[in-house]
Amino acid sequence: MYTNDEYGGPDYYDDYGHTGDPHLDMEYERAYYSNRMPENVKTFILNFRAAINEGVMFDIQNMYENTFPQLSDHHFDKSAWPDETEVGPLVDNDKVFMILYKELYYRHIHARIPGGPKLEQRINSFFNYCDFFNLILSSKKPVLLELPDIWLWELVDEFVYQFQNFAQYRARLTDKTQEEMEQLLNNNSNVWNILCILNVLHSLVDISNIKQQLEVETNGGDPATVAGEFGSQSLYKMLGYFSLVSLLRVHSLLGDYYQAIKVLEPIEIHKKSQYSHIPACQISTSYYVGFAYMMMRRYADAIRTFSSILLYIQRTKQLYSARSYQNDQINKQTDQMYHLLAICLVLHPQCIDESIQQVLRDKNYHDNMCKMQCGDLDAFKSFFIFACPKFVSPCPPPADAPFEDYVKDAMEHQLQVFMDEVNQQKDLPTIRSYLKLYTTLPLGKLAAFMDQSANEADPREIANLMIHLLCFKHKMKNIVWTKGSSGLEGKFQSGSELDFYIDNDMIHIADTKVAHRYGDFFIRKIVKFDDLNRRLHNINIK
Amino acid sequence: MTRYVKMEDGNSLTISEMLNSIERYNLDHLKEIEDYVEEQARENTYDLEANLAVLKLYQFNPHMMDLEITYLILLKSLTNLPHTDFVLAKCLLLPVQMQDNTIREIIYLADILEQCDFQLFWDRVEMNPSLFSRIVGFYDSIRKFVCHVVGITFQTVEKSLLSKLLGGLDDGTLNQWIKRSGWKVQGHMVFVASQDENIKTKNITEKIEFDTLAGLMASMM
Repeated sequence: MYTNDEYGGPDYYDDYGHTGDPHLDMEYERAYYSNRMPENVKTFILNFRAAINEGVMFDIQNMYENTFPQLSDHHFDKSAWPDETEVGPLVDNDKVFMILYKELYYRHIHARIPGGPKLEQRINSFFNYCDFFNLILSSKKPVLLELPDIWLWELVDEFVYQFQNFAQYRARLTDKTQEEMEQLLNNNSNVWNILCILNVLHSLVDISNIKQQLEVETNGGDPATVAGEFGSQSLYKMLGYFSLVSLLRVHSLLGDYYQAIKVLEPIEIHKKSQYSHIPACQISTSYYVGFAYMMMRRYADAIRTFSSILLYIQRTKQLYSARSYQNDQINKQTDQMYHLLAICLVLHPQCIDESIQQVLRDKNYHDNMCKMQCGDLDAFKSFFIFACPKFVSPCPPPADAPFEDYVKDAMEHQLQVFMDEVNQQKDLPTIRSYLKLYTTLPLGKLAAFMDQSANEADPREIANLMIHLLCFKHKMKNIVWTKGSSGLEGKFQSGSELDFYIDNDMIHIADTKVAHRYGDFFIRKIVKFDDLNRRLHNINIK
Repeated sequence: MTRYVKMEDGNSLTISEMLNSIERYNLDHLKEIEDYVEEQARENTYDLEANLAVLKLYQFNPHMMDLEITYLILLKSLTNLPHTDFVLAKCLLLPVQMQDNTIREIIYLADILEQCDFQLFWDRVEMNPSLFSRIVGFYDSIRKFVCHVVGITFQTVEKSLLSKLLGGLDDGTLNQWIKRSGWKVQGHMVFVASQDENIKTKNITEKIEFDTLAGLMASMM
């Protein structure tokens, strides 16, 4: 473990004569707070420790979800919580509690300190996670620790987030001092290493037997029969489950969409289960699954995944309206999913639920979808960039790389792959718009439409059109999931609303016609009148 | 032939067992999976998961990256069209791979195949046949993909057009492909399938039965 001393005390700084050095500022801050740790913060820490040690779930959850954020807002809005040297003595250096406290401490630094965490803090946070996972994984008997599921989810999620954040920090060579570069190259090449992350997540999956548990459950059995000593403990079981979801995320960040979907094989994404009670986890799962489907050109699956989670969010919206760190993330991901859904619907038009469609009629979506339909590549790009995950390269830039900013490289690559796909399809919306007007259309006539200058299309243009039509059929026939828990499996289907076939030189078109729907309208009105009626009955005139 | 990979503890796992564990990231097994890629090229077999695992190992260990193996993996993924394996592989490529001229050429070929510009593809392939000769059965795999696209697009198609799409086949070979796909020659036309049964206009109308509303109405009383 690194301590401050190893990074140099005051002498170290004197040599370089920095003034206003952030480390010194922190030093000052620390001195300031150590003298006056607010009384209610001190009480909170003591109560928190007691609750954790006694395993009072309700109290832990309440302090974790409410008190900690409140105190953060009040006392530590843009500064760190008291560090371990101050908190340790307060709690008899309780090892487990200190690991958990530091998890929150570094998470708070990542979230709240302007300019982000320092290298040293990133490193220490990494080692703190190592301590936590070692505690959990290398014990001969299951560790008897109970934490609320929301904390376990956020802990694993944060672990992956800090990895991603470090990978981006690591790729930015422009804002590092010589010392920082040396530290990164020489001492800390294993810190936040991808293999380490994968190792932890795989180990949590293995120790909990979560895959076997989910499989047995899918087949209607009792998961307890295969859970094993560790996996029957809620702590291990939930960590195992959240690790599967985190693996989905890690693989997505690396652009490995096949593995991303594959790790989820034991999970039936479209079913509610005993694991789906953490909304943030549900939403995050659907976001990454939908994104991976989109990249694999499985638009029907992507659209189904996004619509179903967006409907769920719409119905439970009131839960996320309050501003909190959890809801900010959920709201951002919701926005991103509407963007991705818009992209998918441009590439693969199909009917979706009316209430989701309603949101996409909003000006921002509507205008941009029109632009995309007209082949505006920039509209595709900006939607993609806004909505894609924060891709990372698993390796830092090579030691001899010029001092440049490599953060965007990983994203640029995925963007390129996606834009290549869009480019391959760029003529399809125009063809679709013509086909929509007819039930049969001779090839020559459509070719003339496409080439607006000529009245009679020449053979070259017809041959060209033929290529586009073949492309249309090819791109609109994709693997669609039909059954079973593997999200990779499926059958080739044409799910888009417009289809056609060519009989020699005649195109026969099949469209999907949707009659006006009135049921939904009436249901809304009925509910409204019922409500009104009830209110009227309840009025007491005295 | 099932391939086995030796583990540090002396046990052997099959490639697919190894790929399902954390061992998939172990650099010690890279050589073994690379050999397996070459075997796929030689023996006209295919294992997407193993091939992606190789690319992932390159992604984690750029100094181990082998361009020749990368070519094989990318070309093999084209043989599995209409599946999107090529896209999956492309997403894992490193900047150095993206800058390689041969890889650029393969990406270009994938691009025209995805756009179904088959005649251009066959012209282009002729310019650089040595690249494809390492993949046994490459041309026929592409022809299979062409037949897939033709099969979902046409009810009847001119025989001469079909021949061009399949890379200028002579009459005998063309007839074999037609037979294999279950199509029928009718003069200068080829009957593919009667598509009007599958591709029909759909009408979605809302049907609300009284029964579905009964509960709602009852609760309003």
